[in-house]
Amino acid sequence: MKKFIIVSLLLSGLTTMAQDSTSTYKKRVLETAEVDFLMSYYTQDGSNAAVSGGIGTEELTDITPTLVVSIPLNDDDVLTIDFGISAYTSASSSNVNPFDAGGPADPFVASSGASSGDVWGNLTGSYSHSSDDRNDIWSLKVSVSTEYDYFSVGVGGSYSKLFNEKNTELSISANVYIDSWSLIYPIEFRGSSGGDDEDDFNINNYTITGNPNYNPGFVPLDGKGRNSYSVGFGFSQILSERMQGSLALDLVKQEGQLSTPFQRVYFSDVADSFIENFHLGDDIERLPDTRFKVAIGGRLNYYINEIFVLRTYYRYYFDDWGINSHTASIEIPVKLSDKFTVYPTYRYYSQTAADYFAPYNQHLSTSQFYTSDYDLSNYAANQYGLGITYTDIFTKFRIWKLGLKSIDLKFDQYERDSGLMYSLISGGFYFVLD
Amino acid sequence: MKKLSLLILLALNLSSCVVVREYEKVKLNDPDMALSDKKIKRFELNAQAYREAAAGANGGKTGGGCGCN
Repeated sequence: MKKFIIVSLLLSGLTTMAQDSTSTYKKRVLETAEVDFLMSYYTQDGSNAAVSGGIGTEELTDITPTLVVSIPLNDDDVLTIDFGISAYTSASSSNVNPFDAGGPADPFVASSGASSGDVWGNLTGSYSHSSDDRNDIWSLKVSVSTEYDYFSVGVGGSYSKLFNEKNTELSISANVYIDSWSLIYPIEFRGSSGGDDEDDFNINNYTITGNPNYNPGFVPLDGKGRNSYSVGFGFSQILSERMQGSLALDLVKQEGQLSTPFQRVYFSDVADSFIENFHLGDDIERLPDTRFKVAIGGRLNYYINEIFVLRTYYRYYFDDWGINSHTASIEIPVKLSDKFTVYPTYRYYSQTAADYFAPYNQHLSTSQFYTSDYDLSNYAANQYGLGITYTDIFTKFRIWKLGLKSIDLKFDQYERDSGLMYSLISGGFYFVLD
Repeated sequence: MKKLSLLILLALNLSSCVVVREYEKVKLNDPDMALSDKKIKRFELNAQAYREAAAGANGGKTGGGCGCN
C-alpha cells in the first residue's frame, strides 16, 4: 500500500511537470542595467565579551557601504558584481591586548591597539542564465573577502526548475568556502606561541595580583584553515491567487579551525591571576574541528487586500554541537499610497547552548573543548523593526544616467535576554541605467 | 529521510491541484508578496549570522567569514 501511494504521488508530480510545455513570449530577464547603493549602520552593546572569557564590554559599531551592479549581457544572461566593505570598531576585540590604553586594563574598558578596529572587504561576481522559456535557471558565483586576520574564497552554483505554469519551483544549490585565519592570540599568550602577531609585550614589566605564579602552559593551535561545504534544496509553490509559500533545507559541513584564536577561557580549577583589573587568560577557546548543521525553513505569504500583505517565516535548526534553535518572524507591509509602503516586522529567536559553553570562570581545565562565547549560549531574542519603501515606476528622479526606481530604509532593534542588544539602520537606493 | 521524501512528493502532488494562470497572478506579483527578501535584508541576516548560532534556510550565507566580532 505504501509503495502504491509513493508511486501515485510520484506520477502525479511528474504529470504536473509535464504540463509545462507552453511556449511563451520571451521577455528579457533584465531589461536594463541596475545599480544598487546599499548601506547599513550597526551599533551593539553587551557585557559578555567572548574575547575576555564571557565578561566585558561588547561595544561595537560597523558601517557597510555596498555597491551592486547587475548587467544584462543578452536576453538570457545577467552578470552581477557586488562590492562592499565593513568598517568596524570593536571594544571587545580591542581587549585582545588590554594593556595599551591610557588607564588600567579592564575588560569593561576599550583598549586602543591595532585590534580595536578593522576593515572587511568583499567582492562577489555572479552569473545567471535562463532558458528560453524561463523555466530553467542556472547561476554561478565566486566571492573573495578579506580582513586583517581572515581570508575567504567561495564558489557556488545553483539550478532552479519552474513548472506547473510557473506555479512550482524546485531548486538546488551548493557552496564551498575555503577560509584561512591569521592566528592572533590574546597578548599574554604571545611570544613563543608561534602566532602571526608577535608583540613586544613583556609580562615581567607588570605586577601580577591574585596568583602571582601565572603559568598557563599555552599550546598554540595547529591549523589555520576553515572549510565550509553547503548544499541547499528549495521548493516554492503558489497555493492560490493570494497565497504562496516555500520550503528550504540547508545542510552545512564545516571543518578545520572552528574556534576563534583570540577568545579567552577561564577555569574554575585554576587560581586567578590579574594585571590591573584584567583577568589573565587560562587558555583560548577550544572547539571541535568539525561541525554539521541542518536548517529547515518555511515561508508563507498572504495577500490580504490592496493595503495589507502578511509575510511569515519559520526555521528550525540543529547541529552536532548540541544547539537547537527556533526562529519565527512576521512582517506586515502596509501600502500608504502607490509610492509609499511601511512594513513593521517582529522576529523571535531562541537557541539552546552548545555542549562546550560555560559562563565566565566556570570551565574545568580537564575538559577537551570549551568556550565562553555567549553567541553559543542558551538564550532567546526579540527583534522589532520598521521599514519604509518608496517606489517610483517612472524613475523621475535622475542622477547622471541613473533613474531612481526605489528606496528602502529600515530600522531594527534586537534584544537578547542575556543582555546583548543591537540597533541596525539599513538603507538601499535602487537605480536603473537609461 | 523517508519522511522528507514523502513530504516532497506530497508537496509535488499538491502542486498539481492548483494552477494559477499568468493573468491571475496580479496579487502574487505584488513586490511585497515576493518569496525572496528585500536587498537590504542582507545586513540584518549578516548581523544575525554573526550573533546567532543558527544559520541557513533563510537566503543568507551559510559559510565563509569568521563571525568573530
